[in-house]
Amino acid sequence: MTALPPLDLTHFQAFLLFAVVISVAFGFLGRRRPKDRVKYILWSLFLFLLVGIGVGWAMFPFSH
Amino acid sequence: MEDPEHIPAINRTQPPAFVRETASPGESRALAFGIAAWLLPGLGHALQKMWGRALVVFFAVGLLVFAGASMKGNVFTRQGTDAFDKLGYIADMGTGCFYLFARSIETKGADVSHAGGDYGTRLLATAGVLNLLAALHAYEAARGHKA
Repeated sequence: MTALPPLDLTHFQAFLLFAVVISVAFGFLGRRRPKDRVKYILWSLFLFLLVGIGVGWAMFPFSH
Repeated sequence: MEDPEHIPAINRTQPPAFVRETASPGESRALAFGIAAWLLPGLGHALQKMWGRALVVFFAVGLLVFAGASMKGNVFTRQGTDAFDKLGYIADMGTGCFYLFARSIETKGADVSHAGGDYGTRLLATAGVLNLLAALHAYEAARGHKA
């Protein structure tokens, strides 16, 4: 197989990819009805982003 | 000689021990679904006609493996020297046959000298753990537990 060009994502893009994919997977595995799945996906995505960005900002003072 | 008065009554509510310890056909089937789900992400759900879950697991694990390997993340091998390498290998093996897919993408090896490679390593491990979780879900669903 020919080598693919390397994928160059920023930290935030990689984090966003992780959060979206895992939220969708959790939503489908954890809930049965479509409406419940959408609510679960959106809620878990929001929490992923909130915690990720929150922890990032909490570490900000230590980097300076 | 055994006293016939003291022979314990047969407990007819419980099957004999040798029957209880043998896996039932349903249990074996559930185990087979769990192993199938691990080997090919989504297969365990597809065999139970859970098409939506099967597709989501297949593409979620596939996308994470593809992104992780394309970012030159570390695909751990069996020859790990420390505990972290071994844990990484277990996590990467969780992707089943996609482990070979990751190895085939990373023909030039990992490059964790830059941050992107490190993110890729995490995405690969996430894919493996997610697939193990999905395999456990398929196993539980096959056992008849609410899923």
